[in-house]
Amino acid sequence: MTSLSVDLIASAILIGTIPRAMPILLAALGETLDQNAGILNLGVEGIMLMGAITAFTTEYFTENFVLAFIIAFAIGSLFSFFHAFASVSLKADQVVSGTALWFIGWGLSGVLYRFYFGNSPSPPVIQTLHHVSIPYLSNIPFIGRLIFGQDPIFYTVIMSLLFIHYFLFKTRIGLNLRTVGENPLVAKAVGVNPSLYRYLACMFGGGMAGLGGAYLVLTVVGSFFYDMTLGAGFIAVALVYFGKWKPLRVFVGSLLFGAVYVFYLTAETYFQYVPYQFIEMLPYLFTLIIILIAGTRAHSPASLGKPFHEE
Amino acid sequence: MIALNKEPLVKMVNITKRFSDVVANDSVDFELYESEIHALLGENGAGKSTLMNILYGLYHPDSGDIYFKDKKVNIRNPLEAQQLGIGMVHQHFMLIPTFTVLENLQVSGRGPFRLKPEEMIEKIKRISSELGITVDIDRKVHELSVGAKQRVEILRLIMNRAKILILDEPTSTLTPQEVVGLFNNLKKLRENGNSIVLITHKMYEVYEVADRVTVLRKGRVVLKSLKVKVQPKDLADAMLGQQREVKPHDRPEVSNPALMRLESLTVLDDEGEEAVRNANLHVAGGEIVGVAGVAGNGQKELVEAIYGLRPSLSGKIFLGVNDITRAKIRDRIENGLGYIPEDRKIRGVALDLSLDLNSIATDHWSKPIINYNFIDYQKVKEFASKIISTFGVITRSNQSKASTLSGGNLQKFIVGRELIKEPKFIIAENPTAGLDVGATEYVRQTLISYRNRGRAILVVSNDLDELLELCDKIVVMYKGRLTAPIPRGKFDKLEIGSLMLGKEAETA
Repeated sequence: MTSLSVDLIASAILIGTIPRAMPILLAALGETLDQNAGILNLGVEGIMLMGAITAFTTEYFTENFVLAFIIAFAIGSLFSFFHAFASVSLKADQVVSGTALWFIGWGLSGVLYRFYFGNSPSPPVIQTLHHVSIPYLSNIPFIGRLIFGQDPIFYTVIMSLLFIHYFLFKTRIGLNLRTVGENPLVAKAVGVNPSLYRYLACMFGGGMAGLGGAYLVLTVVGSFFYDMTLGAGFIAVALVYFGKWKPLRVFVGSLLFGAVYVFYLTAETYFQYVPYQFIEMLPYLFTLIIILIAGTRAHSPASLGKPFHEE
Repeated sequence: MIALNKEPLVKMVNITKRFSDVVANDSVDFELYESEIHALLGENGAGKSTLMNILYGLYHPDSGDIYFKDKKVNIRNPLEAQQLGIGMVHQHFMLIPTFTVLENLQVSGRGPFRLKPEEMIEKIKRISSELGITVDIDRKVHELSVGAKQRVEILRLIMNRAKILILDEPTSTLTPQEVVGLFNNLKKLRENGNSIVLITHKMYEVYEVADRVTVLRKGRVVLKSLKVKVQPKDLADAMLGQQREVKPHDRPEVSNPALMRLESLTVLDDEGEEAVRNANLHVAGGEIVGVAGVAGNGQKELVEAIYGLRPSLSGKIFLGVNDITRAKIRDRIENGLGYIPEDRKIRGVALDLSLDLNSIATDHWSKPIINYNFIDYQKVKEFASKIISTFGVITRSNQSKASTLSGGNLQKFIVGRELIKEPKFIIAENPTAGLDVGATEYVRQTLISYRNRGRAILVVSNDLDELLELCDKIVVMYKGRLTAPIPRGKFDKLEIGSLMLGKEAETA
């Protein structure tokens, strides 16, 4: 391999990391909030696909990307409402209900695509969002373009990242939410309604996963194809563990993952003597490794995945 | 300090509460005055906690009325109790262990959106210096001692403007020194105008701190008095009724070699820290050795290492003459080891399985119950029936799930299962925690008669009084180290208490 190709891979990673990281970050942030309230939602993958198909359809027919994002958020919340109903009200096993959600989203997104766009060999394409350069700041050498030359949603995501961090650690409602995830009885004793917190956290988390799917379609890919998330939803769940339930750490994890993903996309071209199947494994191998490293020492919220039985 | 002509702050009249066929409170009257410490005294299961849970809104009385400042009130839940200024410190603390003290105090259903830590810290400091209740604001709760956690709970109640504080057996897991500190705090609170209900089964606490006492026995009020007017003998008679205290048991002289012996045992905890350090211990046939200590000083890891649930880093464990340090649990059991775990619903039984199946939990490999790897259910049934009848377990049938048994019956069942095969050595971990007086007495007597048959017992308990009553020797565990054994004749509660707090002592 020439030094030129190393440079190319390196610059591809620098430029490509953030767009690739954003969908997973959105979903992982939602799951972070969700799990801090004690709800484990394994259906993120299915919800992302539902967000992707609804955003794509909306954009294709209305060319209104704001509406597309709103509808993707709404469909994600609706899906997660069922998860909340099963795990909070019915006190069902959250793994089972989350898995059901994944299957439904997976299948239904494919069915909806066929319904609207038929079975054409080349999928319809939409215009992805333009990048917005922030004046002056984007002229800073090297990092200027990287940080201040992204699409408009990127800035919204970063702001929501900061807000979720602020919310969880600097506000009373955020502290109450974490208390619900640790011990709902304690929360109840001070006048907090654990079920309400869990419903809202779960629906917000689902909405964020829907946004993640929408981001993938509207700004990264520009099209929809069946099973296009390729496990991003599960990786988002894994990043929550890697991030130890803290938004800023989850952000770091998502950048790492984005970098690995871009490396895999570009490396296929350059490492021709390595079977591409092995290179395709990279993102998942990476996920496995970070979970093995982070998972052994992680202390999850004490009531994560446990229904709240009032006595 | 007490004005007799004052009207009571809280009046509970004719309270009756039944749980299925058990009458927990039978026409109970209870009055609490302003600025007093009121001891609610009685044996375990006398109905003290039930009465206070009614006042706190956790239970609803079947009949009877509650008056607050002469107005009839209907307290439907703890929130309504809190609005009246009634707060309760439970035996299980309502704190989040992974949060700091500050965070725990900030959790609240009301208030502005944004947290204001500076204001909160100032408020905590003001109240804690006024009342002399010291807390370490930035520490995580799981790093605190039991006494410190209790102070956080009390402080939280005061900060939420509680005027009436109910403390449920607050001294049961404290060291004697911590008890003194708690009582000083309570006296300060009384001066401050608070009223305190102290639920307890320890008579001396009445004389140490209370202004007034109400004694319950079997759900009825048997005595009410200002403490100055009541003699200790009358108090004891009221509390215990005809039942006389069980005298410390005479026992045969021990000269047997050790049935269980630890040699420089070191064990790591889940975090990889040394939880048991270089422990030496010697338990001979015919004796009960107690391990005293504040919870979290390595007792759990010690027990798990002896039973084989946790590997030992170094040192040796002997059962009789056999070195079992590396043995599998099954081999240990076959060598005569028994275990009565603390979490009876988690480690003791499988809650959703029948008593039949639970009876073979710790021996599902030997004949005649198991034949060539097949279970002989007829034999299982006979075995379970034998445990149930020998140990007086009350259950509808052998097929009932373990979860249907009351705490006391479940414990009798587990004790029975472990003892029926007469192992030579048994570990009992908080064997009477949460049991009523009858079951407690039964379990203790069972352990004593087992000892009298020449077996050896190691009791690990957070309740020092239990150890003082039950044991022939006590060792104290502090930060993973064991002290030299203290023989029964030299038991000194204060001395043991200061060892529990880490006073230097000769290590064994």
